[in-house]
Amino acid sequence: MTKLFTSQKFRRTAVQVLFVAAVVLFILATIIVGRTNIADQGIATGFGFLNQTTGWPVSFSLTDVGPRSTYTEVLFAGLLNTMLVGFMTLFFATLLGLFLALMRISSNSLMKLVGTTYVEVFRNVPVILQVFFWYAILTHLPGPRQAYSLADIAFFSNRGLMLPAPSLSGLDILIFLVGCVAIGFGLKSIKSKKTGLRLPLAIIAAVALFVILLVTGRDADVPLWSVPELKGLRFVGGVSLKPEFSALLIGLTLFGASYIGEIIRGGLMSVDKGKLEAGSALGMSAFQINRYIRIPLAFRAMLPSLSNQYIWLMKGTTVGIAIGYPDYFAIVSTSINQSGQTMELLALLMGGFIVVNYSIGFAMNLLNSRLKLKGRS
Amino acid sequence: MLNKLMKLATAASLAFAGATSAQAQDEGVLGEIKARDSLLCTGHNGSYLGFAEVDAQGEWQGFDIEMCRALATAILGSPDKAQIIPISWAQRFPAIQSGDIDVIIKVTGWTMTRDTELGLQYSRPYFIGPFYVMSRSDLGAESISDLEGGVFCVNAGTTVERVLADYMETNGIEYQPLAFEKGEELRAALYAGRCDAIAGFGPFLSSTRVNAPNPDDFTIIGDVIKLEPEGIVVRQGEDDFLDVINWMVTALLLAEENGITSENVDEMKANPPSATVERLLGVTPGVGTRLGLQDDWAYNVIKTVGNYGQIYDRTVGDDSRYKLPRGLNNLWNNGGLLYPLVLD
Repeated sequence: MTKLFTSQKFRRTAVQVLFVAAVVLFILATIIVGRTNIADQGIATGFGFLNQTTGWPVSFSLTDVGPRSTYTEVLFAGLLNTMLVGFMTLFFATLLGLFLALMRISSNSLMKLVGTTYVEVFRNVPVILQVFFWYAILTHLPGPRQAYSLADIAFFSNRGLMLPAPSLSGLDILIFLVGCVAIGFGLKSIKSKKTGLRLPLAIIAAVALFVILLVTGRDADVPLWSVPELKGLRFVGGVSLKPEFSALLIGLTLFGASYIGEIIRGGLMSVDKGKLEAGSALGMSAFQINRYIRIPLAFRAMLPSLSNQYIWLMKGTTVGIAIGYPDYFAIVSTSINQSGQTMELLALLMGGFIVVNYSIGFAMNLLNSRLKLKGRS
Repeated sequence: MLNKLMKLATAASLAFAGATSAQAQDEGVLGEIKARDSLLCTGHNGSYLGFAEVDAQGEWQGFDIEMCRALATAILGSPDKAQIIPISWAQRFPAIQSGDIDVIIKVTGWTMTRDTELGLQYSRPYFIGPFYVMSRSDLGAESISDLEGGVFCVNAGTTVERVLADYMETNGIEYQPLAFEKGEELRAALYAGRCDAIAGFGPFLSSTRVNAPNPDDFTIIGDVIKLEPEGIVVRQGEDDFLDVINWMVTALLLAEENGITSENVDEMKANPPSATVERLLGVTPGVGTRLGLQDDWAYNVIKTVGNYGQIYDRTVGDDSRYKLPRGLNNLWNNGGLLYPLVLD
């Protein structure tokens, strides 16, 4: 018996087991105490409210929700809104960040100055202020009746940017997206000698698919393009980019780009100079050196901090609540107020963000392990 | 050993005695308030003009704040014992459940969900809130249907969101909703022209209009879209506290009905014109002891904050900058919906 206690292995395992048990007990106790207290106060608990209708509208959503939708549908719409603005932010911020990084490492001193100034300005101002700033600018534009118009088909006012759009249904758009992916995979199988044909063929196929979808499956009296038109107090037809959405997207993108730019710059600068010189010794052009040596190596170096930044930006979408953009946080906040189910909704809020952000982290890790230098590093 | 046991027994009995005597004194939240000698009451995170706002001297002002002060005076004898806790619309229910505040006096509409599922209890309505729509004057709208397709801004998470959606659906009017979490942002969006109209509580709209860079730019449209009775909220099961609140409101209304003001209350107490007034002001005992208060609590309340009409006029009515008409919040004999309970 004493031997067992003096065994270091046993002691270590025992400590670990006890620690895990204590944590699990603590969590269980918290949940039980919380539930009893809530029940004592006479508050209805559980997720039954998710099937009740909300009774309030959502100002912007990708799915069709209204006062008669259930809490489940409205919360899902909120999550989609968060993901829409979040993923668009990631895309544009990465693109802009790449430009900034290239400017900052270029030998042109004017480019360097512009890049550095940008980073210092946008990195050092809190993101919520930037979002407020862009929202104030967008809402102080003229009203819809005095809107700036571009050849009477596109309009820009404090109600947002109204653009003409092809008359495609949601189903059409889905078919188109699936079709594009299929075209991509189909063309990949073309023999390697004819790779030059891939891109033009892909474009032709995509355009053809688009035209077919546009012309077919449409009521006879619906025009091919839906053009925004002022009717009463609003524009009807076309698509609109609302100021809340635009301000959040612009603010987050410009802010995020300054960080991403620095991460990319760090990655590019981490590439060993000798490897680049080796490239030019082999007679590679500057483009080839960048494409085949510098960017692949830099990409590996910056992936871990880039995934951090992506996850941060996704969480940053919650500032949308301050300017009336109905993101997941704003929808949950309103739901708490309307249904009173605080604990359940907060759990859903955290769960939603964990799912989205974990997926980003997972995808980035997958990319990282695929790109990792095999064998030695 | 025996000695030890004896000691233990004494300690245990002492602890038990302590617990029971504390229980006897401490009857729910009313006991807590008396023991703490202050009433924790709702303010606002920012300003809800006319109801809970911070003035230039940094003091809380407004109709709901005066109600808090009246309640503090009734229980603790002084309006300064009302401690105003800034709290958002969304936080008010969790806050009362966790005991951060004793009472919600924050234009809180009496809805079935809140009453039945949140473990709360409402007082009789102390304020009747009509909902209106206020639109930009340059749109020339005379009724809500003239605003077809417009952008309607509201405060997120309030009953207004639902009330407006109901009204618009019933009347077949299409509109674009836009909800803001904070009143300041809602106002900024309205003044900037992002919204064609805002829907809300009459008092809120009139204070929003008064604060506009140019008040004439905005017009309150006559259609009442909904009427909401506002109650004072306590935790479920605080019946004694709720009694005090209901009778405090009745005292304010009775005072107005009988023409008792903060100026003439001493005179009235000296020469009560009726038996009801006599009872109300504590000349004949009963009004206090039955509620667990001093017999002169109503007198103190009227003396310090005035009657219902005085509070109304001072905070949102004719003597304030909001000039909100009494309307439905008048006494029954002046065409309103308010009436006192019977003080016998």
